[in-house]
Amino acid sequence: MTDDMPTMVRLERNELDFTLTYEDRSEFVVSYDDLRHACPCAKCSPLRNDDESSKSLRRDIEKLPAEKPKIRKVGKYALGFEWVAGCSSGIYRFERLWLLANRLDPDNGKPYVHGAW
Amino acid sequence: MSDSPVSTHDPKVASDSVEGPTPQDQKKMEQAYAQMKRKMSMQDISKKIKHKVMVLSGKGGVGKSTVATGLALSLAQQGMAVGILDIDITGPNVPKMMGLEGRRLHVEEGRIHPAQGHLGVKVISMAFLLDNEDTPVVWRGPIKLGAIQQFIADVEWGNLDYLIIDFPPGTSDEPLTVAQSLPDIDGMVIVTTPQDVALLDSRKSITFSESIKVPVLGVIENMSGFTIKGTTAPGSEVEISAPAGRTEKTTADKDGNFSVTLDIFKKGGGKLTAEEFDVPFLGALPFDPGFVRGGDDGVHRIVSEPEGASAIAFAAVVSAVQDQIKVDDGTSLEII
Ligand SMILES: Nc1ncnc2c1ncn2[C@@H]1O[C@H](COP(=O)(O)OP(=O)(O)OP(=O)(O)O)[C@@H](O)[C@H]1O
Ligand SMILES: [Mg+2]
Repeated sequence: MTDDMPTMVRLERNELDFTLTYEDRSEFVVSYDDLRHACPCAKCSPLRNDDESSKSLRRDIEKLPAEKPKIRKVGKYALGFEWVAGCSSGIYRFERLWLLANRLDPDNGKPYVHGAW
Repeated sequence: MSDSPVSTHDPKVASDSVEGPTPQDQKKMEQAYAQMKRKMSMQDISKKIKHKVMVLSGKGGVGKSTVATGLALSLAQQGMAVGILDIDITGPNVPKMMGLEGRRLHVEEGRIHPAQGHLGVKVISMAFLLDNEDTPVVWRGPIKLGAIQQFIADVEWGNLDYLIIDFPPGTSDEPLTVAQSLPDIDGMVIVTTPQDVALLDSRKSITFSESIKVPVLGVIENMSGFTIKGTTAPGSEVEISAPAGRTEKTTADKDGNFSVTLDIFKKGGGKLTAEEFDVPFLGALPFDPGFVRGGDDGVHRIVSEPEGASAIAFAAVVSAVQDQIKVDDGTSLEII
């Protein structure tokens, strides 16, 4: 799925979601809640391993006040999203954003395993 | 020491103390000052060092220190100001590779000054702290991590183009501490060898990189192939029996020189790993017995043979790393 991922050329932040435009002019809208629920950091990721904690992570995110994140580029392959409230730790690789745009599991169905290597 | 919090911000106290602060006051102020200085110096250090690169591996002995020193020397060869921070407390071997064995820490007015190794590369190693290099030091975690923070804050690096940070194998504590103490790390390079590729759980390493907010710049394959050189009649065909029953053929040049690179282990594992996990492949470094000798006699291969095959391979890896570090150049992403 990520093999034929087009290059992202534009990211527009809206009030509750953002619009991604790829080089082939395809457009996708991803809600901030979906984005934040898919945070790849070491604290949020394990919470998605089982349904109960995943749902409660989701509920916690939905309780957060609505805000537009600050966005920074990380190297050539990822973006970081900075929020006033909630977790800002995750580095989102473009592949992850592409999977989110296509409504696919950003974890590829694999459980998160903690530890360096 | 009294624990009564004498606030120096209290205007009454300030106006009363015409004879200057009490000794307790003095001590508190000094402590606060030292802490503030440390914090400021972390920010300062970060500003003065243009790029910071961590060198990591899942497994020990794959050549992290060889690669870290090689990257540093190769960058220094290009005329850059380079430093190496050797975080490995249990087996710091960077000083040896940089010809600085037996050095002690040089402290002046509370600041640690790095030693200067080959090509002017500045080196700070935990080894400089150890009394005897043969005694492995077993420091408990918190002390170890505290030492790392202090090392980062108290070292007078001056202006550097690159700081290369060499780590012990496999653990996450040290990289996490460094990432938290030193802002704006460009990224990490992951060193692997052809036979260790299967062991390197790249998914975990990428997850780890995301969790500490440091991007993976790419994978370097070390000890990749072994080059045999020789001379024979000019223009003649040479056949060499390679591992796994293969035969390598080459033709000697007009002076009769030939060279063949043999893949001692499985070929291209680093590249495959990089492709599989979609991180850049930064290149392969040959198996070169000169590295071992260099490690022993303190003259790094890049210094003893600056035009040699290994130096050339390092230069290629360095430029691949630099390509990754040129943030944003390639991405025309518009963020609104
Ligand atoms: N490309 C190479 N060719 C030949 N020998 C090499 C090469 N790279 C490293 N070595 C040798 O392998 C040994 C281990 O290398 P090095 O100390 O750099 O590994 P390391 O990953 O830093 O180890 P540790 O995990 O103990 O810190 C050393 O003797 C070194 O000289
Ligand atoms: Mg080492």
